[in-house]
Amino acid sequence: MKFLVNPGKFNEIADYIFKPLLFLSFIFFALGLLFSFYLSPDDYQQGSTVRIMYVHVPSAWLALLTYAIMTFYSIMALAFRIPFGFIFNTAVAPIGAVFTLICIISGSLWGKPMWGTWWVWDARLTSVAILFIIYLIIIFMNYSFENRIVREKVIAIFILVGSVNLPIVKFSVDWWNTLHQPATISKLSKPSIDSSMMTPLIIMTLAFIMIGIAIAILRIKTEIISRKSNLS
Amino acid sequence: MLIVKDLSVQRLDKAIFENISLSLSPRNITILKGKNGSGKTTLLKAILNIIEPSFGSIYWKGKLLKKNLYDFYNHVTYIPDTTTSLKKLTIRDNINIWKKFFISDINNAQIETALKTLKLDNNLNKKVGTLSFGETKKLEFLRLIIENKNVWILDEPFSNLDDDSIELMKQTFEDHCANEGSIIFSSHQNPGIYVTEEMEL
Amino acid sequence: MKFLNKIIFFYFREYKLNMSGVQDILTNIIFFFVSIFIFIFSIGPDKETISLIGVGIVWTLLLLSSTLSLRKFYQDDFENGNLLIIHLNGLSFGFIAILKTFSHFLFVQVPFLLSIPIACVLLNIANDKLFYLLTSFGIASLTLSCLGSISSSMNLMNQRNYLLGSVIVMIFSVPIIIFSVSIINMEENFNSLINILFGILLIVFAINPWASGLCLKLSLENN
Repeated sequence: MKFLVNPGKFNEIADYIFKPLLFLSFIFFALGLLFSFYLSPDDYQQGSTVRIMYVHVPSAWLALLTYAIMTFYSIMALAFRIPFGFIFNTAVAPIGAVFTLICIISGSLWGKPMWGTWWVWDARLTSVAILFIIYLIIIFMNYSFENRIVREKVIAIFILVGSVNLPIVKFSVDWWNTLHQPATISKLSKPSIDSSMMTPLIIMTLAFIMIGIAIAILRIKTEIISRKSNLS
Repeated sequence: MLIVKDLSVQRLDKAIFENISLSLSPRNITILKGKNGSGKTTLLKAILNIIEPSFGSIYWKGKLLKKNLYDFYNHVTYIPDTTTSLKKLTIRDNINIWKKFFISDINNAQIETALKTLKLDNNLNKKVGTLSFGETKKLEFLRLIIENKNVWILDEPFSNLDDDSIELMKQTFEDHCANEGSIIFSSHQNPGIYVTEEMEL
Repeated sequence: MKFLNKIIFFYFREYKLNMSGVQDILTNIIFFFVSIFIFIFSIGPDKETISLIGVGIVWTLLLLSSTLSLRKFYQDDFENGNLLIIHLNGLSFGFIAILKTFSHFLFVQVPFLLSIPIACVLLNIANDKLFYLLTSFGIASLTLSCLGSISSSMNLMNQRNYLLGSVIVMIFSVPIIIFSVSIINMEENFNSLINILFGILLIVFAINPWASGLCLKLSLENN
């Protein structure tokens, strides 16, 4: 497991698995899209729009998962002085932001036919939007500090503070939403899933994870190289 | 009292200085000489435990500095090269704040004489922001007398000072030395101060 | 005893500093009132509408105007070396952060606390709601000070993007504004909501010395 914390080992393993991973992710994407467009049934209530879920749900999961892993790496980097954590945070934050953005956009595409507007102040939408802003802050921080040591440590601290605050924010937004919204929408947004819909969802999630890891490998390698070449 | 052993500081894998050793006992004056950017301020900050050294260790009174940190801080006065006097306030307010904050047992007469020798006594109610650069620098040195501690660590104390003031500082340093005190200061050249140890960076 | 003296004279110093620049604090207050005027000009002088959304307006503007002066939180003391001198006088960075947080609370937030009643008069907020507004702001403003301490210590070495600090505070203050405004609109749940606000305060207060202290040390180390 040393390749998870050591840049040199990581490079070795990454070279080894990058191409198979990319290949597999394309296969899974093809399979998943096939399933989600042709081999899964329409929802009796939502009709064909339910197919947006196959993009929306995996990206939402991955947006959260990315933040969780970043928190883990921040703890590693700050507590055990493992610089790979800083590299990871810098490289992966934009990926998380993109997943969050996909989640928001697909969510509002789904919302237009179902709710009649692009955006409602639903608890999930709001908290995901806040997560997106937090990702943006992390990315902007990357560009606003001159000094690299300060920058990466401050970002790690910010991620940790955010990981404490995000659950509070989520909880408060949920609470706020139940206060102001009728329950119909939250009933719609959490349907119980039939197994015929479960297959494409799982395949798409795997595809998303793989493409995520592949892009992360690329970005981490770039980050390692840029750190080696210019030590500013 | 203070022993620095094989100290190295790296930043981003680049060494700022390497294997510095020095020791400071009472009646010692050490000068750190070096060009701009040679790491004089960094070394002073490393001694003050603000910057974590990559290698090497610092001892204070026989114990590791980190274990004995606040005792060390009780015996050291640090004058950075920035103006630490509050620019919005008058000289009198500044002196009062320092005096109380450092719980100094110095009396007013001593401060009066110090101010007189520094030629700052006739504009006590002037804001520090309106003083000239040399005058603010001299005001900084007043903290040495207010804090009244053994070890003085000074960063570039002689920049912007006229000859009279340098002469005065020379006298102050000698007095402090005679009082079992010790001094480290950084400077790009020695303006004729008697030093016991010279350190090139 | 010596330690207590240091704390007392830390505040003596803060008092002198803030009183010499009392117009800065007053400018915050003026910003608060001017934005209330602007709000009313943009909504229209309809009494019903204003009293309906008045509490929300007051809270939004309190948040905005108390994040305005955040840049000054540590910046001056950091740049002129005072932070270092205070630390060398035997106060750890975490403890300096706590002291500074209370100082920000006293000199920036308390004046807002005093100006809330006037804002209530301007916005036709009923007198019985004033009490809830004041209690919620009393607790929440300390939370805001803690968040301000964290974000401004993070941005000490940030030379380009000054607004980032305010954005951080505002995004983390979402829960605070939600629960504080709810206290006023749902008086029957007063106790439980106050408890939640207290809980958030305690969490943020516990993170504050760690996060701020670390950031202060980091910035001084690499200055």
